[in-house]
Amino acid sequence: MVKMEDLVGGTANLRVGRVLRASARGFVVGCKVMQPDIPAFGSFVRADLQPAGISVYGLIYDVVLRDDPMARRFVIAEPPEEVIRDQRENRGMPIEVGVLAVGCRMEGRIVHCIPPQPPVTMDTLYRCTPEEIVEFTQRLDYFRLVLDAPYVPVDELLLASLRVAAAARPPQERRPFLIEAGRELTRLLGNDLLRLDGLLRRLSAMAR
Amino acid sequence: MLDLSRLTRTAREMGQALAHQERTFTERVAEGRAWLKTFAESGETLREGAEAFGAAIPTGEPLNTVVPCPPIPARFTAIGADGTAIQPDRHGQALYYLLNIGSLVYRHGSGQTPEARSIPSLHYTDDDLYEGALLVSGNLLDVRRDLAEISHLADLVEAEPSGPILALVDGTLILWVLENLPAPGRREKVTRYLTQLDRICQKGAALAAFISRPRHSEVGRLLHLAQSGGDVQRARERENPLERIPDRVLFAHLPPGSRSALFASPNSINRMFYVPAGHEILFFYLNVADEGEEPIIARVETPRWVTEDKQRLALVHAGIVAQCRITGGFPYVLARADELAYISGPEREQLEEMVGMALLAAGIVSAPSPKAYYKSLTRRGRRW
Repeated sequence: MVKMEDLVGGTANLRVGRVLRASARGFVVGCKVMQPDIPAFGSFVRADLQPAGISVYGLIYDVVLRDDPMARRFVIAEPPEEVIRDQRENRGMPIEVGVLAVGCRMEGRIVHCIPPQPPVTMDTLYRCTPEEIVEFTQRLDYFRLVLDAPYVPVDELLLASLRVAAAARPPQERRPFLIEAGRELTRLLGNDLLRLDGLLRRLSAMAR
Repeated sequence: MLDLSRLTRTAREMGQALAHQERTFTERVAEGRAWLKTFAESGETLREGAEAFGAAIPTGEPLNTVVPCPPIPARFTAIGADGTAIQPDRHGQALYYLLNIGSLVYRHGSGQTPEARSIPSLHYTDDDLYEGALLVSGNLLDVRRDLAEISHLADLVEAEPSGPILALVDGTLILWVLENLPAPGRREKVTRYLTQLDRICQKGAALAAFISRPRHSEVGRLLHLAQSGGDVQRARERENPLERIPDRVLFAHLPPGSRSALFASPNSINRMFYVPAGHEILFFYLNVADEGEEPIIARVETPRWVTEDKQRLALVHAGIVAQCRITGGFPYVLARADELAYISGPEREQLEEMVGMALLAAGIVSAPSPKAYYKSLTRRGRRW
């Protein structure tokens, strides 16, 4: 079973990969398969826009593995261990990580908004430390950005991000944090009771 | 438009002609296989004539020998190397050529990640670019690429800890392109190549070249010579029914994993330079298909010092079969070495851009020729 503590990276500035393409609402990062910490759905990540002095925060909402004819051939065969390792570690088939922008840090302050500039190609993406995650989730205004995001599994992403944010806190703070998150969701989804009910049920299971 | 009604008759005739050709082909293949059996023990008497006739030269083994696959060693290292080149382009910004050598070191049974390498080298000085008045391109560049491949392979073999090692190249071990080049300098080039073979031999490794779907018909020539009573003159005068039948078809009856008899290559570069240096190249045909599958006949070339050492020969035989079974008919290390050596179109463009930037940084303003410039405009697809 996955422990809450395992959901957040403890190391400061753990690199996820580099930006392949970007827009104001989000960006796609390429990284090598089999990194020690494979990026997980719902993880908080950060890209530093050096000249602008802005950090963009985002949530991983998709992880795509590309294939090629050679890899496809070996999937249906039963290849030796050496071939599996060669295909995974040497053949440079990047995995593409989709990130939804949910905020930024400008002049030292975190704001939950679409960042003024997207990162540029080859910018490095880091996994946020627990301290950064706690700081970012002091406010929950980013919920609105997630709820409005097109082509994203919105409810799942919100829950996954809350699981990560709760895990970044000391055990005694987790339940109050999740209850506060539930209140915020109730404010935002008051007109969609069925959906809200589903989200709250899962939140309360998480808070137990 | 295509008026199909005008072709009906010709298409029918074509079908009949091809069916007839197919029947003749099948009959000739059957005849060739029968001759393999008939002349199985005639190798000794045919040897001299075969060399003069440019036919496969028999060794001590009967011509119809079938050697089943030896046990595949639980642990051995297979190393494959392959190379590609970017030819010097007189329409480019600067005159240079590039060699890119790819290799894979695969330790069977180790569970380790294979070592993949891709090593480019850029050559631009006058000494690099010219041999006398000749620009190094085409066949001359092929020889340099082959030399870079085999040198890299020898480096990897020497760096490998002891244990059975199988070194593989894609294609041939014979620098046959030298046949098309001016005689001066041939010996020096071959000597440099053979020095690398020495290094591999001294390490105790086995070495082989793998030829996929070979078109050679040297065994067919040998059988025609045998059918002509071993008389070279007579063989030359008579039509060789096996002339257009690749040897691999004659050996399609080999069971999976089995090899044919060993033959020596009649190639003139082999006879002239390799034989005196102790690196005579021999070959055999090998069915690299899995059990129960359609035959996949490959040609394997290997130096005499491999064939004279039972263990090394068994490693070449079993090692290639093991490698081919991973990929399905082609050695895995060579498939990967080719991939690692391959230079894609966008990579070529990036290199050209990098060279341009470097020239600019050094204060040299250069430009592609007008022809190359306009090609770059017209070949990028229409915008309107």
